[in-house]
Amino acid sequence: MLSWVAKQIVLYWDIFKYLIPAVPWTALITICAFALALILGLIVGVLRISKIKIVATIAGAYINVIRGVPLLVQIFFIYFGLGSILHLDRFSAGVIAVGICYSAYLAEIFRSGIEAIAHGQYEAAMSLGMTRFQTLRYVIIPQSLRIVIPPVANEFIASLKDSSLVSIIGLRELTRAGREYYSQYFVDFQTWLLVGLIYLTMTISLSRLVKYLEKVYSVAGYGSQKA
Amino acid sequence: MIIQVKNLVCRLGDAAVVDDFSMAVDRGEVVVIIGPSGAGKSTFLRCLNAIEEFQAGEIVIDGIRVGKNQKNIHALRLEIGMVFQQFNLFPHLSVINNVMLAQRVVRKRSRAEAEAKGRQLLESVGLGDKIDAYPEQLSGGQKQRVAIARALAMDPRIMLFDEVTSALDPEMIGEVLEVMKNLAAAGMTMIVVSHEIGFAREVANRVIFLDKGKIVEEGPPSSVIDDPREQRTRDFLSKVL
Repeated sequence: MLSWVAKQIVLYWDIFKYLIPAVPWTALITICAFALALILGLIVGVLRISKIKIVATIAGAYINVIRGVPLLVQIFFIYFGLGSILHLDRFSAGVIAVGICYSAYLAEIFRSGIEAIAHGQYEAAMSLGMTRFQTLRYVIIPQSLRIVIPPVANEFIASLKDSSLVSIIGLRELTRAGREYYSQYFVDFQTWLLVGLIYLTMTISLSRLVKYLEKVYSVAGYGSQKA
Repeated sequence: MIIQVKNLVCRLGDAAVVDDFSMAVDRGEVVVIIGPSGAGKSTFLRCLNAIEEFQAGEIVIDGIRVGKNQKNIHALRLEIGMVFQQFNLFPHLSVINNVMLAQRVVRKRSRAEAEAKGRQLLESVGLGDKIDAYPEQLSGGQKQRVAIARALAMDPRIMLFDEVTSALDPEMIGEVLEVMKNLAAAGMTMIVVSHEIGFAREVANRVIFLDKGKIVEEGPPSSVIDDPREQRTRDFLSKVL
């Protein structure tokens, strides 16, 4: 019994050592992809509520197309389809695919965040002579950001999990490392249990971080954090 | 004449809320507009600084002409300060930053200049000690005084007040009216939509009774409030007095 436990510990440790170098790649893909998604999402979200109809329509079409196609297909399309024309490496293709995919979801979150701000805020800003852009930049978006922190954080955690799909194009992130270990040593239960636990550790850490951010960005007496 | 309004028509949906409305206001004049709810008082005020689009007519403010093509709209808004019933303070900014924001981004003033102006105005409305508070920590009356300071910080030539005491608890109405009285005494041109008949009687140079988007009666408070000619004015006053 004792020797079985010892063997198991050695096995888990061995798998762990094999998987750990891949964790920074998972983190890097997620961070780069999500940074891209935040920028694109904010732009598309603002364009979505543009007063110029054609602009709003194009932004809406972007959102619908991206949301309507599976991420896995988008990864294939960008890596094998566009990648062969644009000479994208695995990492760039993975980041762009996940980034674009999540930008569509974020755009909708940002749009709803912007629309949640009372109309009186626009009127006050306009009456002070602010342009529409200044109103969004200084009055509306700073308030929207506080509203959207929880749903955006959900998307961030989801994108961390979805970064595992990038393993399909051969980038050695966490899931890929798990597959490689399995195909070398044929240890399935322990390998996938450990891969799952490492993802879980990362997602739980992120949730904690989000709680902290919500606190930092709260304003006395405003929103959920009552003074 | 600092304000000239010619044949203004403002429709919300199908109904003409402001219907062929003309008026002129002199520099330093205080005009109080009274009338039943739905008379178009607020809509008229909101047309004046083009927050509400109007469909016909023309507004000339201190030589700046705004027609329904909305040209010059920005220059117009710089001349006009507005205070709202629901305060509309920026909840994510401290009191001083509420007063500084537009000074910085619209008037392009330096931080030091904007802050000095903000402090001085907040002192003048009796809120020198609330500079670092956030709007939700203030009472309604305090919020409204911040809103007045915020509008004044832009150096407007005209101030519009849209039922600014209607959302306040009774004991806070006085402090806001006091600030408005001081402003009137200092020579500010003001158009005030209000149900405060006492304020109108004391401060207004002219009272306009508005009903169904049209002027029913206008003149000094001594005639419109104390001795109205029109039956509709009398009916209204008997309800609010």
